Amino acid sequence: MKKRTLTPSTLYLALVLLINYLPIVVVVLFSFNDAKLPVAWKGFSLRWYQELARDAALMEALRNSLVLALASSLAAAVIGTLGAIGTMHLRLRAKGVMDYLATLPIMLPEIILGMVFMAYFALLRLPFGMLTLIIAHTSFCIPYVFLMVRARLVGMDKSIEEAARDLGASPVRTFFDITLPLILPAILSGCILSFAMSFDDVVISIFVNGPTLSTLPIKVYTQLRTGVTPEINALCTIILIAVILFRLASAALRRMGGAGSHR
Amino acid sequence: MKKERWWLCAVPLYVFTLVFVLGPVLYMVAVSFAQNEAGTGFRWAFTLDNFAKMRDPVYIRCFRESFRLALATTALNVLIGYPFGYCMGRLSEKGKRIVMFLVMVPFWTSSLIRLYGWIILLQAKGTLNKLLLALGLIDEPLKILYSYPAVLIGMVYALLPFMILAVYTSVEKMDWTLVEAARDLGASRARAFLTVTLRLTLPGLMSGVILTFVPSMGLFFIADILGGNKIVLVGSLIQDQMTRGGNQPFAAALALMLAAMTTLMLWLYRRLTGTSELEGMF
Amino acid sequence: MLKKTIALLCAAMLLLALLSGCGAGKAEEQQLVLYTWESMFPQEVLDGFTERTGVKVIYSNFDYDETMLEKLSAAKGGDYDVVIADDYIIEQAVLSGLVSELDKSAVSNFGNINPLYQGQFYDPDDKYTVPYGAGIPLIVYDPTATDVEIKGYEDLWNPALADSVAITANYRVINGITLLSMGKSMNEEDLDVIAQAGEKLLALAPNIRLIQDDNTQDALLNGEAAAAFLYTSQVTQVMAENPALKVVYPEEGLGFGIMAGFVPVNAPNKDAAFAFLNYILEPEVSKACMEYIGYYNTTGAADDIVDPMLVVPSSVSSGEIIQNVSEAANDAYNRNWTEFRAACGQ
Repeated sequence: MKKRTLTPSTLYLALVLLINYLPIVVVVLFSFNDAKLPVAWKGFSLRWYQELARDAALMEALRNSLVLALASSLAAAVIGTLGAIGTMHLRLRAKGVMDYLATLPIMLPEIILGMVFMAYFALLRLPFGMLTLIIAHTSFCIPYVFLMVRARLVGMDKSIEEAARDLGASPVRTFFDITLPLILPAILSGCILSFAMSFDDVVISIFVNGPTLSTLPIKVYTQLRTGVTPEINALCTIILIAVILFRLASAALRRMGGAGSHR
Repeated sequence: MKKERWWLCAVPLYVFTLVFVLGPVLYMVAVSFAQNEAGTGFRWAFTLDNFAKMRDPVYIRCFRESFRLALATTALNVLIGYPFGYCMGRLSEKGKRIVMFLVMVPFWTSSLIRLYGWIILLQAKGTLNKLLLALGLIDEPLKILYSYPAVLIGMVYALLPFMILAVYTSVEKMDWTLVEAARDLGASRARAFLTVTLRLTLPGLMSGVILTFVPSMGLFFIADILGGNKIVLVGSLIQDQMTRGGNQPFAAALALMLAAMTTLMLWLYRRLTGTSELEGMF
Repeated sequence: MLKKTIALLCAAMLLLALLSGCGAGKAEEQQLVLYTWESMFPQEVLDGFTERTGVKVIYSNFDYDETMLEKLSAAKGGDYDVVIADDYIIEQAVLSGLVSELDKSAVSNFGNINPLYQGQFYDPDDKYTVPYGAGIPLIVYDPTATDVEIKGYEDLWNPALADSVAITANYRVINGITLLSMGKSMNEEDLDVIAQAGEKLLALAPNIRLIQDDNTQDALLNGEAAAAFLYTSQVTQVMAENPALKVVYPEEGLGFGIMAGFVPVNAPNKDAAFAFLNYILEPEVSKACMEYIGYYNTTGAADDIVDPMLVVPSSVSSGEIIQNVSEAANDAYNRNWTEFRAACGQ
């Protein structure tokens, strides 16, 4: 399948990706602009990066967002994956309804979810803060993992599992040796998607966060009220670079330690 | 573990769902029947007013508008995202990794900021207009921002990764030997695609349609930001009622109706495509 | 493959524990939770308070007044020490019993307040609140982009401004200026009159380029709009960017808004809260704050030192404040607004 030439297929991929990156490129570009408004280029400057470094509140918000996204995507990965497997084996009257309910959080407008969560948490006397944020975020992360793993399980060739069991493997063994590796890509993409959704969520977070807590999107969103400073462009650029570096580093690590790996 | 006990895995999901999804939703249903009191919130007195109010043509139009936009967004996403996921699935392992990486990176930057990027691009004195003017293609700036096309661009852009990921997941695990077999048996390229590839990737496509159509019914801040608040979707109507309008029961009723509509749509879709093997997907 | 995944998960957990751990374990210190919109205080002012009293200020944000009220009622008037919000929502907060009376002995600078902003509907006896800036939405236009000479709201209906007017997104304010242009009150309760205003609003739709609360002023700078109806802070900002623009005090009358601070009834640290309100009434502090947020100065004692742009012109003595109206009238305003917005998109 290795081709050096530009096939229509790769050309198409490149074109879509290019358009995808246009708005990001302008955001990055204007983070170096020596003016507050992104209308005209007034010269190269790093002043927004300097102001960003001085902004302790923004950094604190960034840390909160990372903790929140990590916690809720992991919780969603565990609950969602187990749930997808469990419901495959379940024959229950109420199953359709339960599955519908489990995916409901991504069907409701976020603002309703946020308001309802808030009223409900107050009802349960849960203190507003990281805990309520994690619960709320987990609830809308689960459907992503659940749906993705489910799609994978439904499309999976059942005969492989059956063959393994016919050969005498225990169900648990079959699961870990056959099923799990097959659904792992789905779990991972669900998990990544969850992380990204949580890291980016603003509407629900505003409702369920505590008095002393702020996440990055909340900061950005509230800044939109009073005017976006290119500080935010600068932060985005840094996050972008961090993501790219992280991925490159993990790829390098994989290559170094990957001698024994079957891939 | 015996085979029959696998269902135990579903317990955490079900418990979480009952406590943190069903509970809040029941609360919302209750609120939708409560009596609004301007200025001070609402009173627990049963009324159907909130639902009766929805018959006003103004509000019906919001539903129609949301539906149309969600449909257009999903259709464009299928058109752009399916071929993308498909092509991506045919790349080499390394190619897949690179493209996956490139698809995911924008996801990690704030979606609000990416919308802001589109504003910078599309505005009257923006990058795109400057480019077109410089090339002599237009004489005066195009008014793209704050229009329907701008909203559509924003919506498709925001939701495309969902479609791509879903389709890709399906394509990637597809058994290509089946396509080859079909070709060997004399099926044309198109026929092999329709009968084998499309069928095998349908779960992914379905999943992608769900993951784009459903959120696009509720997404409103894209229409507000790129459409200059001029396209009133149910989502923004709900937000209006919830915040400025100060009518939570009406907002809850609208949300209930929206949730009911999306459910109906999904049910219809499943019926029409007759994909009964996807049972349990929704 | 599996082992790797488990190891990865463990590593992630560990990272999580580390990240969340490093926030805890700080020494117990006094704090004041200040709840308001983003960017309402310059950092120096907050730092100044901490320096003087040793109380750390936690700056907490909401996006809409209504979100604040929700949060505050969910917390039963606790959790927050000082809240700064809009006039009409404070009336609701007071009615819901969420606001504590001021301890005037702890707010010795109370006399510094400009009486113009006292005795208002949300606090007729000046028992609960300290005003923090006033806003008057105004029209700003770009004389190079339109030939229309704008004098009042009525001019926004001029067909020459087709597809080139930007307005803010507050449904009561926009309904209100329509009513003002008809010679009615912004707080009209008569449903027939409100319906007429709705009709008139629809005629404005073809002129609307965008409806937006955030950065509405940018539309004048980036060429999207020729005229804009803006909040005070936006007027200040846009005039600083482009002094060639023209500000119009509409001849039909002005809408008025006051932001004010109050102490919730179960505030955890009331002493610090009163001290804070007292602090922001100091002339120097008021000056710094008002110049930062760009709203009209409400601390009379600071009028002489603050930027003259931020002192309300003496001609403005009778602005009308938007107040809560009856359920039916509110419904009608909402309906007008939705219909108007949908008409703008056609």
